[in-house]
Amino acid sequence: MNEQVGRFQELGRLMQNHGLEMITALVILIVGLFLTKWTVKKLREILGKFINNTATVSMVVNSVGVLLLGVVITASAMEVGARPGPMVAAMMIVVLSTIGIIVIFRPLIPTLPFKVGNTVKAGNLLGKVEATTVLNTRLRTFDGKTFFVPNRQILDDIVINYHFTKTRRIKIDVIIRYDQDLIKAKRVLEALMIEDARILPKPNPQVYVLELGLNGVRLGGRCWVNNLKFWVTQCEMLEKTKLRFDAEGIKFAYSQLEVSYRKEEDDWTEDLSPDTEMPEN
Amino acid sequence: MKLTEGMQLIAEGWIVKPEGFRVKFQQMTNGELVTGYSPPETDTPLDSDVTTWRYAWKLAMAASPEGDELHDGCLVNVTVVDEKGSPIRYYATGKPEIFNPSDI
Repeated sequence: MNEQVGRFQELGRLMQNHGLEMITALVILIVGLFLTKWTVKKLREILGKFINNTATVSMVVNSVGVLLLGVVITASAMEVGARPGPMVAAMMIVVLSTIGIIVIFRPLIPTLPFKVGNTVKAGNLLGKVEATTVLNTRLRTFDGKTFFVPNRQILDDIVINYHFTKTRRIKIDVIIRYDQDLIKAKRVLEALMIEDARILPKPNPQVYVLELGLNGVRLGGRCWVNNLKFWVTQCEMLEKTKLRFDAEGIKFAYSQLEVSYRKEEDDWTEDLSPDTEMPEN
Repeated sequence: MKLTEGMQLIAEGWIVKPEGFRVKFQQMTNGELVTGYSPPETDTPLDSDVTTWRYAWKLAMAASPEGDELHDGCLVNVTVVDEKGSPIRYYATGKPEIFNPSDI
């Protein structure tokens, strides 16, 4: 009991002698933490408008945040009597060490090969990246399902990032019959690609004869389009190709098999009719 | 003529790539036919002729005249033009196409 009373008396004396400094330090700490958080948030917003790279913005903002935190803690400690020299030196060492570790080891840390908003194919999943965390990636497929894919699985798998390049090639492969006008078909297909507003003029759209196949001549149209317009453009180019070929009277080939029957004298099948009995083995 | 000059000549003289498409129509307003565009000429044109033709057809169906009589708000002579206002051929037939044609 006496021990507790003694402690309270000691606390009372402490508050009497240094109470004002302690309260001021506490206020500096609380206000400083709020200000640091607010500054970091605003800085992130401002930098986000000028720098597209999210990782760079995060690194800069986090570094500034650590520095501000150090300043706040140092100021608060100085208010309660800590000597500024050793405090500043200690904080500087901690901050510089942290930044140094981040800069040195950052290239060694495995990073995901996409950003939020990219369309990717990871494993069997094709979708848009909605969010990434330390443990998993949230992927929304185009049929509306949300998948939480472990990052470990993504890092071990082949990933196609459809936003990595700005442009993408469209393939329009068609097969026309052998009796059709090949040159006319090439001209029509090339004109279709050139006159589309979304097809890029360079590289030039090209039409190749890819194969003299079993059913017909396979033509391949190749052109480039901005990545974001790829899918719709490809679908519409296929539609336009079908309709324009129809309008121009160019007939597509379709799978067919010609069967020739050669009649031989000793062939028992010549008498084959529903009433004929099948020979027994 | 150098190859680059030849390519330049082809690019400018063979098939001119349109930059965008608009639906051009005439709308009956207070007894008069007023020519309009969608999207308006001040807005960015659509980049797909397929989409624009589909849009034009839907507009024509939604505001088609009743018989020969043109009522207020109906759309006639609906077609698709490029960014310069020149009519473009219907991609399906390769020929000009006008929905709800009217001689008035």
